[in-house]
Amino acid sequence: MLPWAYQAFLCVLVITARFAIPQLRPQSERSSKAFSRFLLYSVAVATFVILLNSMLIRGGATMGSILGFSLYEEGLFFGVRTASRLLLLTYAVLLFFVSTPLKELIRFLQQKGLSPSFTLILLLTLHFLDHLPARIHQIFLAQQARGAPVDAGIVSRSRALLSILSPLVLSSIVESIDRGTALELRGFLNRPQDARLITQPTAERNALTIILLAGTIILLLATLSRWLLG
Amino acid sequence: MSKSIRQRIAEELTGPALPFVAFCIALNLTAGQVTAALKIPLYLDSIGTILVAVLVGPWAAVLCGSTANLLAAAFGNPTMMFFIPVVAVIGAFTGVVAKLGWFRKWYLVCLGGILQGILAAMVSAPISAYLFSGVMMAGTDFLVLYFRSLGNTLMNSVLYQGLASDPADKLVSYLIVFLLVRNLPQRLLARLHGAANLRTPDPTP
Repeated sequence: MLPWAYQAFLCVLVITARFAIPQLRPQSERSSKAFSRFLLYSVAVATFVILLNSMLIRGGATMGSILGFSLYEEGLFFGVRTASRLLLLTYAVLLFFVSTPLKELIRFLQQKGLSPSFTLILLLTLHFLDHLPARIHQIFLAQQARGAPVDAGIVSRSRALLSILSPLVLSSIVESIDRGTALELRGFLNRPQDARLITQPTAERNALTIILLAGTIILLLATLSRWLLG
Repeated sequence: MSKSIRQRIAEELTGPALPFVAFCIALNLTAGQVTAALKIPLYLDSIGTILVAVLVGPWAAVLCGSTANLLAAAFGNPTMMFFIPVVAVIGAFTGVVAKLGWFRKWYLVCLGGILQGILAAMVSAPISAYLFSGVMMAGTDFLVLYFRSLGNTLMNSVLYQGLASDPADKLVSYLIVFLLVRNLPQRLLARLHGAANLRTPDPTP
């Protein structure tokens, strides 16, 4: 494992990259907000993880106290190591997704050989994700109007859960059959290889991205070899 | 001759199964909205995967769970991406259990749910311990810290936390799916591969 200081440095590097490299900037207002929200949330979680570990894992010298609880050295270092690794892993994944519009990613992957069926599933999922919250809300209101116990005790509310999920799943199966029939009639599953005139442009490479990528690969290889060689 | 994974997935994903799998992926990602509206303390984040495993098949369920976790990462919960092996196991196990006909009897459903929870805890523990040191940014982190403060190793603490919470969650998810599919009209179910998993085999030749 990398020492916590390296991990913390890489975290700062990932956040800086999000602002400094044009290709890594969030592609929409929504993803920009998601990144900022997650940044704040993760800092709060990291602080919480460090504090709790320092209080609960007892070992080494006492580093101080908060609200009458002593903070221990061993717990503090474990907390810092854990938090920095968690932040690094999550920031790296999040940065990729906020800087890459999903529809473009799916189109690009299809061009590189992703199966048309899987592409269809991904695009349909995005469609359902747009419409499902409204449908759930509609069913919820309808069941509430019919007198479903949505505000009663936990057992009654659990029963109400089924009264919401049942019509949701039923309507989805009906819709799936309609869509499936339409796909079969159009010969979707027997169609020949796609021939496209429009090609997806690949991102421009810049020096900073290449340096960052090369640095990451070297660090990964160094860590892996250290781990394998004991 | 044995079939490749790609062929098996293609066999399951025909006709209505394609849009249904897409719906279930979306359901995995939005089921939390229903439980939040009803103030029920459940995740139900694998209910779509279990539905696909029962109504379509194990390979489609593995695909459904993996894609849902990948998309969850894209929508602001990056830790989900590292748990793809766990949802793959959930999909495969449920698919096999459904094929064995366990979704015909409620007590076998309960047994399946508990076994599934234990299996999920065992698969997720090493990922959670080695990658995230047991911190998943969720309420269950308190349990890990509690077990750790009792003097257990990190790996054991994460495993105990999983064993304490996963079987209950999976049992409820299994029961919900069992009740859902039992109330669906046979006419509609017949259009999906997994309908045979729910029908009692005819003893007459």
